[in-house]
Amino acid sequence: MNPQSKREENAKLLSGNEAIAYGAMEAGVAFCTSYPGTPSTEIMETLMVNAEAFALYTEWSTNEKVALEASAGASWMGIPSICSMKSLGLNVAADFLLNLNLSGSGPGGLVIVVCDDPRGHSSSNEQDSRFYAKAAKLPLIEPTDCQEAKDVMPFAFELSRRHQIPIIVRSTTRLSHSRGLVRLGDIEKHKIQANPSIPDNLFNVPNPHIKHKDLDEKLGDVLREFENSEFNSCSEEDGSNLIIIASGIGYRYAMEAIEILGINSTRVVKIVTTYPLPEKIIQDWWNGNKKILFIEEIDPFVEEQVLAIFAEFEWLNSVKEPVEFYGKRNGFVPFYGELNTDIVVDSIAKVLDIQMPFRDDVGNARKEAKDLLIERPLTFCAGCTHRNVYYAIKRVKHRLKDKIIVAGDIGCYSLGVFYDQTMDTMQAMGSGIGVATGLGQLQRFDQDNKILAVAGDSTFYHSCIPGLINARHKNADLTFLILDNSTTAMTGFQEHPGSATQSKNSKIVSIAKIVKAIEPDLFEEVNSEEIDSLIDSIHRAVDQPGLKVLHLKGICRLEAARSESIIRKVEIDTGNCKGSTCKICVSDFGCTGLRWINEDDRPEIVDHICIHCGACISVCPNNAIRREEGIR
Amino acid sequence: MSEYNILIAGVGGQGNLLLGRVLADAAADDGYRPVIGETFGASRRGGTVYTHLRIAKSDLGPLIPRGRLDLLVGLEPLEALRASVKFAGLNTTAIVAIEPVQSTISQSGEVDYPDVKTIIDHLRKLCGRVEPINTKEILQTIGTYRVLNTLILGIISEMEITPLRRETIQSSLDKTIGFRGLNKEAFLAGVEVVVKSNKI
Repeated sequence: MNPQSKREENAKLLSGNEAIAYGAMEAGVAFCTSYPGTPSTEIMETLMVNAEAFALYTEWSTNEKVALEASAGASWMGIPSICSMKSLGLNVAADFLLNLNLSGSGPGGLVIVVCDDPRGHSSSNEQDSRFYAKAAKLPLIEPTDCQEAKDVMPFAFELSRRHQIPIIVRSTTRLSHSRGLVRLGDIEKHKIQANPSIPDNLFNVPNPHIKHKDLDEKLGDVLREFENSEFNSCSEEDGSNLIIIASGIGYRYAMEAIEILGINSTRVVKIVTTYPLPEKIIQDWWNGNKKILFIEEIDPFVEEQVLAIFAEFEWLNSVKEPVEFYGKRNGFVPFYGELNTDIVVDSIAKVLDIQMPFRDDVGNARKEAKDLLIERPLTFCAGCTHRNVYYAIKRVKHRLKDKIIVAGDIGCYSLGVFYDQTMDTMQAMGSGIGVATGLGQLQRFDQDNKILAVAGDSTFYHSCIPGLINARHKNADLTFLILDNSTTAMTGFQEHPGSATQSKNSKIVSIAKIVKAIEPDLFEEVNSEEIDSLIDSIHRAVDQPGLKVLHLKGICRLEAARSESIIRKVEIDTGNCKGSTCKICVSDFGCTGLRWINEDDRPEIVDHICIHCGACISVCPNNAIRREEGIR
Repeated sequence: MSEYNILIAGVGGQGNLLLGRVLADAAADDGYRPVIGETFGASRRGGTVYTHLRIAKSDLGPLIPRGRLDLLVGLEPLEALRASVKFAGLNTTAIVAIEPVQSTISQSGEVDYPDVKTIIDHLRKLCGRVEPINTKEILQTIGTYRVLNTLILGIISEMEITPLRRETIQSSLDKTIGFRGLNKEAFLAGVEVVVKSNKI
């Protein structure tokens, strides 16, 4: 390849998420809400960076339901609105979504962006959020690359305004977090004025079924638009009797797979408007081919719709010969996990029963090398105060002969599941305290474990308050630990109602005051930097009956590292150290700032990782870890 | 199809993503259509990070298919090997920083970090060509490990086998984080590695 020595004009290297944000801005969005969650976070972050330049209102809302409600409100008053979230966020917002669909969005237009995470790289589950589009009967758009991620946004906003319903745009990790050249259009800075009054009938009672009927009519109009949409496309046919119907990033994999297999002219149908599925073009482009293969991320969403369409074709006698369908339903494409080009190559080869073109040129070496690899388990950062808390819980657990159940929650502290499985459960945001309110009622069934629930600060605001109120109201017997590091650390330090520094016009909402208002039997604030007092406080609280809440004040070292450099170093006193007869510091506590040296039978401080917090000093029973002498 | 595929393998905090973005930007400046696939998950907390960089004149998917890896950039040995097991072949050239980053389980003494020389031996069986780089020595002279990625950028910029040019990489680095201070020093040290070795 020779360089062409010229950059394409107006083309910027953007991630799928950034492209979505730029597309929204080109469409004239003015009101933006979200709650952070990988892989969706960068959409809002990009909007926030541009907020001042283009007069956008942006907020990290308390949770996704609130975010969607806020943006619906703005849309009703004529302000173009976007609400972005990760897959699990749509579960939180779903209650409102399945009312908003019937009520309709307003004259401003409303686009909901949901980012799924196949394989759950950064998620507690694997879910296909497209079924929400079907459940809510709302139009769904799935871009296939970064350029399209930008291009679909103005279309989505126009569609929303035309039909007065929210539009869902779905991305997946591999699109959100890949980067490509995106040709940008102009973004106008315009002053948008809210309408003087709110539209009529923004409620579904007394006849929600009639609203349902109206929605179906709107969806029929959208379907006709989708059948003429130029985002959907189809390559020329080669007579191989196979067509591939692909959506999302799966389309890129399919295109590359046919090139690798040397069957470049296989017909590939690209569907961007995946719900309601444009039946007519499917029928036209199918054109009598015998085999149909579906490539899409997570569940057989398009696949099942096409099957339903074909059931009707058959009924109408338009299908002469039986068609063979290949996809996730019959295992020709894996029905779980994330796709890639190689998987799609294998699927096509299986369908066509052709020999694999890939021959491994290194033979056994691959397997031998694999045996040499060691894992890199996820762990807390060096000096993270969450480790201190879990270490303290482990100590208390030990004292109580393991008679503790820890109901966990979502955040950095979820890593507690990898810390000797100190956390026993982990599901949705806020479900730690929720599950604990149930466990805390089981004494009447002779349950005799102590019940502990943990949650972080951002999670507390997001979803823990109803659970905590339930615990108080029903007198559940449990201890609730709030691991507060004053930031949304997991997703990159987004502001929340308790953040130490707040943006203009934001006011701190105190966790302590909320908890005190609920009147637990015990409320205590504890410094998570001090392990001994952590152990004592947790032990005391657990031993006492009733609802106990400990507010554990910690520090996110990643965030701290951005603003300060800390004090005197920590060192090992090799004389006091008892070597591998003890080894508590690395085996039990396990901070990444400490490393075991087998030859010396002693630990060592890893200089470039240790952040000098000194938490390990109190962990060592032999006083072998201490502060270096010197001036602070 | 004419394409050049680079995989950068390392762990969180090594500047992997920035390295990929600078190279991709340089490719764009030279009129290519680069695509980057970033796989990081919860990487800040000690996990593996891969950046797939694909350089072609038309858009490709974000992940490199098996057998198509041209250049493997290992920011540390174990991750270079892990990536090789998945992606490398005899058409692959690997440049590998030989300074290990411990895993939590090797750090605690639970298991041993594999011997670096053994890792390199295995890499030689998996890749057509392997160039171990003594990054520790160079970075000690510069005085910080934090510029590992710009050192590697310097090395790549001077290698003849990639379609990328030194001038565009350097100007892209300048646009991204500034071509000055320790980063400039590390970049030039990287260039020097290639010039001296006369073979990469």
